Amino acid sequence: MLEDEKLKWQFKCGSPQALARIYEKYVDTLLTLAMGLLNNTAEAEDVVQDVFVSFAKSANGFTLRGNLKAYLSTAVVNRVRDRIRRQRHRPGTREAKAPAASEARGPEEQLVFSEYAGRLSEALDQLPREQRETIVLRLKANMKFKDIARLQGTSVNTALGRYRYGLQKLRSSINGEVEYDI
Amino acid sequence: MISEGKTQRAIREHFRFVASDGLRRRMLDRTLQAQKTSQSTIPAPSEPLIRRIVMKSAIAKSAVAAAVVIAAVVLSVGFWDRSIPSAYAIEQTVEALQNVRFLHLVTHGETGQIEDERWIEIGADGFQVHYRQESPGYDFGVIEDGESTAVYRHEKQAVIIHDRNDMQFQWVGKLGEAFEDLRQNGKVLEEDSTYRGQRAHKVWWPFLSAECYVDPATKLPLAIGDTEMSYEVPPAGTFEIVIPEGYAVLDKRPGAEPGPLPDWLREEEEARARGSDAFGLGTHALANGDFATAAENFELAVQASPRRNWAWFWLGSAYYGLEQYDVAIAKFTKVLEIFKAYGGGGDKPLEYCNYARGLAYAHLGMQAEAEADLVVCLPAMVRTLRIPSSGSMFEYAENPLIRYGEYKPTEAEIVAKMVDRLRLITGQNFGYDPEATAEENEAAIAAWEQWFQTDGQIRVPLEAAL
Repeated sequence: MLEDEKLKWQFKCGSPQALARIYEKYVDTLLTLAMGLLNNTAEAEDVVQDVFVSFAKSANGFTLRGNLKAYLSTAVVNRVRDRIRRQRHRPGTREAKAPAASEARGPEEQLVFSEYAGRLSEALDQLPREQRETIVLRLKANMKFKDIARLQGTSVNTALGRYRYGLQKLRSSINGEVEYDI
Repeated sequence: MISEGKTQRAIREHFRFVASDGLRRRMLDRTLQAQKTSQSTIPAPSEPLIRRIVMKSAIAKSAVAAAVVIAAVVLSVGFWDRSIPSAYAIEQTVEALQNVRFLHLVTHGETGQIEDERWIEIGADGFQVHYRQESPGYDFGVIEDGESTAVYRHEKQAVIIHDRNDMQFQWVGKLGEAFEDLRQNGKVLEEDSTYRGQRAHKVWWPFLSAECYVDPATKLPLAIGDTEMSYEVPPAGTFEIVIPEGYAVLDKRPGAEPGPLPDWLREEEEARARGSDAFGLGTHALANGDFATAAENFELAVQASPRRNWAWFWLGSAYYGLEQYDVAIAKFTKVLEIFKAYGGGGDKPLEYCNYARGLAYAHLGMQAEAEADLVVCLPAMVRTLRIPSSGSMFEYAENPLIRYGEYKPTEAEIVAKMVDRLRLITGQNFGYDPEATAEENEAAIAAWEQWFQTDGQIRVPLEAAL
């Protein structure tokens, strides 16, 4: 946390080293979060790239006093929502979902993940969006239910309920997968 | 149905996506570029009124009061007893390095001659701004003046000038990453050790895969591996591109008139491109167990770049896989020769290579040669049990996919595989199980260390499947 405070100040002062460190520290968490919300590697990469580019440009007006990880995670959620909203208004544009890495680029430019992670992504994808969001924000971004509720514009109890129902559905869909070779 | 706890754990522990090196670099480059572009129109931020921000809440006020008390106690202790030396912490070296402006790196050959000398100027942002390298062993030099990079090819009496954005030479790649790695993963191996008769702390620096000797007074490294380090201001003109008399100039900067490409340079560039393709094909073939294709491609790669040590090493690995152990030994020996001639290796072992050659000797029944090679690997192998990064080169040598970020062993995997190697070459079995508890594994590691201190003998079972 103290390191984050220092990084935020250095970043505001324009340090590329601080930005690079923030990037290194959180890129994988944000990619995982985006995958949990989208179940599509190419879209997840785009979202995270957009978040970092936008963050990089924001140094001048940057006044964050809270948690950097939660801030970036919230940015990912908002970008994902925008993307889903846009796709809803463009019939036929939703890509076929596949957690498999995109084939347009070579293996050196892809997301790396286990087959089990791919299956978990599929399982998460079966959940309603709000439940999926609650679970990945809680378990992968370590966000407090209070903050998740604020982000979703709902009460803490509703967020807790979404988390519990989501977990129950996940339990049944990943049942039998626990012995999977990872 | 699995429990709720297991479901949560599955998501927490196994739902993980990691950017490969290429993707990571590409995204970071775009991010930094965005910052750079936006900075060109942004005024520098003013210093924040920290006191006003901090003192807004009652809790913060209490925290500040507590911090003042603690600071007073720390300061008073410092004034009371300055004679007690404080314990060394790696953090001190990282901070000292972050305040350094110039790095001077020198590697000597066996007879004391300078084999490689580099000067680096580091900017306020931690990135390299100027660079100079003289490598008489390679008959090669570089000067980077901040805008252009001049490559000196002394044997051809030629200077090739590139735009700095097209061609840049570096010592360890990203310096900031190397420093951060030292902060996070470095280990103090021995306080108050000595380096060439001088008192120094010995530190393991995983990013460089080397031992580093730190000056207790300045906290700065005196040496990393065989490279001596100092921090003085370089002589005037160190970073100035000068064309020696009689040298031809080939200007490859955008907008310049490069003139006709000399035959030797065109052939070199073509061979390098061919070699690079073959190297990529070779590494993937080797990782897939297709040893014949791997050997074929690495032969092309070493033809194109005769000093490319990893191409020679994996060529040896391919022949080892083809059970042509005598050929494999010749290729591994070539790696050791390159390391000795150009890598500042001297007679020091190159553990992953000595290990591979030792196994190849064992296959041919050459027990004495096998033991000679394997015994020099033992210190690094045993050290890996406590400091897993010490074994990272063994892993890299065994799986070229690490190079491309397609495979990344965990620390537990590195340790478990090193124990397997130790079992193989010593005939001992003290166990280590990645699934076992920390206490059980602590007992296994302690047993291996005890064995190394009291016995430490190689007992290669020739009949064993190596």
